[in-house]
Amino acid sequence: MLNSIPSFARLVAELAKFPGIGNKTATRLAFFLLRQPKVQAEALAEAILDLQRNTRFCSVCFHITEQDPCSLCCDTRRDETLICVVEEPQALMAIERSRSFKGHYHVLHGALSPLDGVGPEDLKITPLIKRLEQGGVQELLIATNFTVEGDATALYLAKLVQPLGIRVTRLAYGIPMGSELEYVDEATVNRAVEGRRDI
Amino acid sequence: MNPNISPAIILHHTDYGEADRIVTFLTPEHGRLKGFARAARKSRKRFGASLEPCAEVQLHWTARGSGNLVSLRDAELVDLHSGLRRDLETLTLAGYGCELADVLFDESGVGVEVFHLLQAFLNHLDTQGYSVEARLLLEIRMLSVAGYLPHLQHCADCSGPLPKGAVSFSAALDGSLCPDCDAGRATLKIDRMTLGTFGKIMQTPLTSFADFKLSPLSRKEGQLLLSDALRCYLHRPLRSLEFLNRFSPDETS
Repeated sequence: MLNSIPSFARLVAELAKFPGIGNKTATRLAFFLLRQPKVQAEALAEAILDLQRNTRFCSVCFHITEQDPCSLCCDTRRDETLICVVEEPQALMAIERSRSFKGHYHVLHGALSPLDGVGPEDLKITPLIKRLEQGGVQELLIATNFTVEGDATALYLAKLVQPLGIRVTRLAYGIPMGSELEYVDEATVNRAVEGRRDI
Repeated sequence: MNPNISPAIILHHTDYGEADRIVTFLTPEHGRLKGFARAARKSRKRFGASLEPCAEVQLHWTARGSGNLVSLRDAELVDLHSGLRRDLETLTLAGYGCELADVLFDESGVGVEVFHLLQAFLNHLDTQGYSVEARLLLEIRMLSVAGYLPHLQHCADCSGPLPKGAVSFSAALDGSLCPDCDAGRATLKIDRMTLGTFGKIMQTPLTSFADFKLSPLSRKEGQLLLSDALRCYLHRPLRSLEFLNRFSPDETS
């Protein structure tokens, strides 16, 4: 049916490449775009092209940026002795939203996965070690995910960094704020009990 | 459709789409299965950490009308094996055990033995951590359960006795060979004491991992002969093996 309208079919095919978007949703989005004024469609196309043209990875921390080094790396108010390592830029943004961390960042762009064949050379680990070898950093906060892959990455980094005389820390495990214990999974409760502290 | 409820060990998972997950798991009754867990990454209530590799769970699933994937409904965590995450060597060895079970076995039977073997292996690593002995015990027992155990204590060709000292060995030629049958074909030389040690190991219970202490020579040669056997019978190289060889102490040099 769509083959008779090639431009429509092409848009559906492109939209269906997005994560979480199947053919049905892609078709719905294409119909939505079809009904928008031309200026709206142009703005969307321009925004996508702008993103591709103007953004790159920061040469220091590998976060997404339009200027290199990024604004976080250039911010002199941030603590230069502290670096937080995250798997993806989304994790960095989550920590920034919390306004709890005032150090610098390093984005690995993935995590070690022995079962999927993702090794250290596939991640931004060598630039991190070079950064640390330049001196000045006193603590590395590892904020990888609490999965087998995130834990493997944390253990690997700790093994590499501890001989440099730098303190290595990991985010704490615990119960999410606002949640009821009854509905929290056993593994989280287990780790929260292990990591209990005095009040 | 009646749900199946079964103990299971999670071998591997792959993210699918925005929030779903495809999970490979091992059960005592049905062997190795693959299941589709809808919204597994979003719903912390239904699955939580239960679908993490190496976790032992009570899994609820229903068979699908067509296709190979069962539909995962729920999972109760029995043991996450948190102790595996103490160091990289232990975590990598545990992952290797899961991948070995994934590659060597399928839905066709042998589930009970493999399940109990892998369960005992993970429990041992959870409490005791990495050891070369644990790796070698798992490898030789997995090969044995899969029906690939090479001939160790007699000639694979003529069933005759083996000489004292260095014995020719080649997994591709079914194992140990006497000098007459070898005729320069075998690639490895393994001490007969080592072959005897591994022969004795095969007489111990499948789930026993504690208190095994091998000599440096047995560890080194055991690793050589079992690697040769695994290379011969695995239909694809194991991804976790490269990690294991990189992050664990080298016994073969």
